[in-house]
Amino acid sequence: MSKPAPRATGSSTKDGGASFLSNSLHSLSIQHQFPSKPARSVPADSSSDICPVCKSSRYLNPNMKFLVNPECYHKMCESCVDRIFSHGPAPCPIAGCKRTLRKAKFRSQTFEDLKVEREVDIRRRVARVMNKVEADFESLKDFNDYLESVETTTWNLILKVDVEATERRLRLWEAAQKAETNSTKRSLVEDPSLLSETSHVILKKGGTQRKQQLGSTDDPLAGSGNDPETGFVFHGLKKRVAPEPEKPYDPYEGWSIDPQYYVVQDDYSVDWLTKAKDDPVHSVGGYDMRDFYSRALSDAFSGFGVFIEDEKTLEENPGATAAVASGGQDVNMDDVF
Amino acid sequence: MKLTEDDIYRTSTQYRNWSFTPTQLALQRQKTNQQASERVKAAVARQRAQRVRQPQADTASTSESERNGSGIENGSSTPIPVGDQEVNCLTVEEEMKLVDTFCEKALDLGKFCNFPTEVTATCIQFLRRFYLFNSPMTYEGQNISRTAMFIANKAESYFLNAENYAARFGPKATAEKVLAPEYLIIQALRYNLDVRHPFRGLKGGHLELIELANGNLAALPSATETPAELQAQMLLLPRKPDGPATRMSIAELEKRITDAYGFASHILKTAALLTDAYFLYTPSHIWLSAHLLADEPLTLFYLSTKLPSSSPMAAKTLATIRSCATLLSSHRSFNSDRIPPSEKDARDKKEKEEVQVLVKKLRQCRDPDKIDLVKLNQAQKRDAVEGGGLEENKAKRRKLQREGYQKEAEDFWGPELAKGENREGK
Repeated sequence: MSKPAPRATGSSTKDGGASFLSNSLHSLSIQHQFPSKPARSVPADSSSDICPVCKSSRYLNPNMKFLVNPECYHKMCESCVDRIFSHGPAPCPIAGCKRTLRKAKFRSQTFEDLKVEREVDIRRRVARVMNKVEADFESLKDFNDYLESVETTTWNLILKVDVEATERRLRLWEAAQKAETNSTKRSLVEDPSLLSETSHVILKKGGTQRKQQLGSTDDPLAGSGNDPETGFVFHGLKKRVAPEPEKPYDPYEGWSIDPQYYVVQDDYSVDWLTKAKDDPVHSVGGYDMRDFYSRALSDAFSGFGVFIEDEKTLEENPGATAAVASGGQDVNMDDVF
Repeated sequence: MKLTEDDIYRTSTQYRNWSFTPTQLALQRQKTNQQASERVKAAVARQRAQRVRQPQADTASTSESERNGSGIENGSSTPIPVGDQEVNCLTVEEEMKLVDTFCEKALDLGKFCNFPTEVTATCIQFLRRFYLFNSPMTYEGQNISRTAMFIANKAESYFLNAENYAARFGPKATAEKVLAPEYLIIQALRYNLDVRHPFRGLKGGHLELIELANGNLAALPSATETPAELQAQMLLLPRKPDGPATRMSIAELEKRITDAYGFASHILKTAALLTDAYFLYTPSHIWLSAHLLADEPLTLFYLSTKLPSSSPMAAKTLATIRSCATLLSSHRSFNSDRIPPSEKDARDKKEKEEVQVLVKKLRQCRDPDKIDLVKLNQAQKRDAVEGGGLEENKAKRRKLQREGYQKEAEDFWGPELAKGENREGK
């Protein structure tokens, strides 16, 4: 994921400063592949035909469909899901797995390898929260550092290293991001536990876990002095500039008429106007006498300070021939016939 | 970003395209006259050469051109000058005189048709603008002014039916004749149909004067005197320029303002339209100078409330307004009410005779190419030929083309659905 720097600035930043850690993480993931494999994935051919819960096989029921729940990724057939989870959340029927599952979360798997399925889910989740782009950072190195920590977070979740703390940081980060984008609606994270509820993906089961979570969510409140905890701190991350609130539409684009020689009054007491003023025929149609006043006065003084002789002579002198020629051109237009 | 009244006026087409210095105006008229004379001479020479080439067709063509011309009244039955002498073209002054005559006729036309003042005024400005770039030798006045009046009606949002409009001019006038030079005029006006008149400006000034007289005009931000002080000064204004100060009551002052308004409005409706004022001055200056002619002390006082005499613009504005006033008062309609009737009649008679001579002269030097505007207009349209019919081979080609298109369409969309019979069959 790290992006190579366009030019080397030093030995440590040769490839955005991300090489060592990502390499070690990669090797770590390869190491872990083997021990974790036998825990869940039974050889594909046999397990794809027999439901581990009800032991019914595809041979007897060719329409059988297997579903998984992203909570624990245990496979079971559709009829088992219906049977066990129709009446609400229930523990996973697979022996040794005590997670509470809900029917709504079951889905058919996309990848044959459930490990891949899980990794993709986690990556998707992390990418939704940590969605900065290069333009958000001051330098490429900062961006690569950010990508590095995104990758670390992802692998922590995939490899189940320090899950609790990572989840918490992610939640805090998400809340902080949300607060920043809707800064007009909510200036600060008032209740992080409430906000983090929305981003809960893993449903806690045990009381201890719940307690732990409560304890962890208490931390930001306690620790937040003037600066709320955001879960992550990225060096070189530009502060988000909120877009300017849209101004009311101005058809004149800021221009206005500023008369020099007159001030329009609301009313003029002149005899010949009284009839028009009181005539309902005018007022009913929405005609406003003030329009007439301002137009009449504008007409009276538009061009008051324009001296045609001076201005046209000035206009003529720079391009005397051009002015005459353009006049002549128009005249000759009637030569079309 | 602020716009002043002057900026607004500078955006108008009247300022951009139709305002000139006196020199520019004279040069342009000179140029138009020269171009038109050359064209007339060339056209006449060409016709003569043609006649020499085919002497047997001579009589026929002359009679035809006479027949065409006779449809248009007022000096358009143009006998092509016989003999070899040079065509005696109109001079610039004669052209101007003719245009002024056309404009006066247009004023009468507006009165005759009961059109609103602004329509007539717009029409006259259209005519003046048109004849600034076209010569009366090329386009004859009557038809042009009728059409200009028709366009002016539309430009001022009084919509007329061309047939009804033409019907007012007697049996010979047709809607076709009214419409024929329409595009020609619009084009010569450079599609600028907005004419800024001083009429509404005069009304605005009148409103302010009345408020001033009553002592409750909202003061300008730069004003140093209160409305009450201004009112007191105004009541002491002399009746005549440089006359003794007189004391007036407010009612008297109001009457004086209203009288001035009436007279200024009369000037604007006649002299201002019939001179070059619209080309040379802005509408604001025109109404102020008309007002100046009507009541000088009042107008000067009004100006002093707008521009303090210390400002550098004051003197210049006043000079411009005075020169405009001189132009307006130089027109003979200005003091026609004041001079004795006998003198006036004599003057009008003399004027009429002069115009008669000019019209006669114009007949001798019309551009023979542009006499029949209806035919010219038709010729400009697609495939129009005399008699209204298409040439035979052209018509045939058209027909074949049309059939080709139809066949193509049928190949693509399928044949046309049979109408009626099918449904009845079911």
